[in-house]
Amino acid sequence: MATILLVEDDNLVRDMLTQILERAAHKVMSAIDGEQAAELLRKNIPDILITDIIMPKKGGISLISEVKNRHPNMEIIAISGGGRLNPIGYLDLSESLGASISFEKPINNNALLMAIDLLLHKHKEMV
Amino acid sequence: MTSTKPQKLWLPYLVALLGGLLTFLLAYLFWLDAQANDVVMNALEVYLPWLTLLFGATISLLLAMMTRVAQLAKQRAVTVDKINNDLKREISERIQAEETRQKLEIALLQGHKLQAMGTLASGIAHDFNNLLYAIIGYVEMARDDVEKGTLVHGNLGKVLEASHRGQELISRILSFSRRQHQHFAKMNLNDTIEAVLCLLIPTIPASVAIEFKAENTTFIIGNQNQIHQVFVNIINNAIDAMNGEGIIQIILSSITTDDPLLSQFPDTQHHRRNYCKIEIKDNGQGMDQVVLERVFEPFYTTKEVGKGTGLGLSIVHSIVKDHHGVIRVESQKGQGTTFMILLPEQ
Repeated sequence: MATILLVEDDNLVRDMLTQILERAAHKVMSAIDGEQAAELLRKNIPDILITDIIMPKKGGISLISEVKNRHPNMEIIAISGGGRLNPIGYLDLSESLGASISFEKPINNNALLMAIDLLLHKHKEMV
Repeated sequence: MTSTKPQKLWLPYLVALLGGLLTFLLAYLFWLDAQANDVVMNALEVYLPWLTLLFGATISLLLAMMTRVAQLAKQRAVTVDKINNDLKREISERIQAEETRQKLEIALLQGHKLQAMGTLASGIAHDFNNLLYAIIGYVEMARDDVEKGTLVHGNLGKVLEASHRGQELISRILSFSRRQHQHFAKMNLNDTIEAVLCLLIPTIPASVAIEFKAENTTFIIGNQNQIHQVFVNIINNAIDAMNGEGIIQIILSSITTDDPLLSQFPDTQHHRRNYCKIEIKDNGQGMDQVVLERVFEPFYTTKEVGKGTGLGLSIVHSIVKDHHGVIRVESQKGQGTTFMILLPEQ
């Protein structure tokens, strides 16, 4: 079981992913954009951050670089529904900024849950 | 070109007629007056050597004049011929230039259309993928909650199947719109820059001068529309930075594999080849360090709302990358800006 911060601006996707993650016995906090996520991160340190890339106010790219600076050990999963410019480019960029893994929407949820388990396992080994 | 002056065709006839009349008058005079005849004959005898000399000199002069006239006529014919050929060549060059310009305009328009379509398609894809992801996620959960083999389980499976077909459709539209942008061919960079200037110069203020200097003719492998876009974006930005007055210099040169400049860019070290260097300098207002660091970032703009999308230079950056090139910008507030692009030479 992990504590996961989910950052996603689309209500339906956020609600659906929350349910999926909770069904897999994870504890989920959710934020609608990078700003709200940064607010939540001041009080809580989750094990894993799952963030969308294109969001209003503060996007995923700046959130990832900020989180990597403040919490270098936090595992980050970037998800994107195909960027306005070049979706793959954004996901590549997020990985080069420090995201452990990235997924293009629609995501295979089993693959996402497996990735979370793997990252948790790796994280525990490091600790 | 046709001459409007009348040619005076009667003039040689008039000269011949006058000469004939004069001769006839003299002959008639000698004929009538025998005394005058004698006087003239005596005088002729006395002055014969002088008269012969005069006659000879006159004939020589006449012949020389005729030769010169013939020479001038020939020279003129040659000049006229040359002018004629020059004119023909100029006309055909102009027609060709006009055709090239029209073709470029069409290509540019097509490029813009395709770009707009691509942007639209990827925008739709982004929202659609979100929707599909929500549908698929909820249906998967609902399906897990019902007993396998029931009608509801089967029907939810059909919803999933349809959603996956939607997903495939979106990826097909996206790959189509991307493929449209990626036709690469050998192209003459000098011609492309000149064509861009041809299109831009009529749209810029007369107080902004654009100079283009090229060391030699450069060929690259690239996409004409995309390279066009690179120059149009950078030059337009330079014009915006000028406040209506100044000079933009475009310098095209070649650099060889061992040039120390290339070692500053690790990306160029993968392909050991010659590069061409394009510098676009303006003496506009320049940028400070904060703006300079974010200049290639998507959606970043310093322009007023509605004036810039903040996408121009990020597109320029990704196009140069797609061409295995590098781009660097140097600027100082109040000193102007220089964009340097390195592209692999063909």
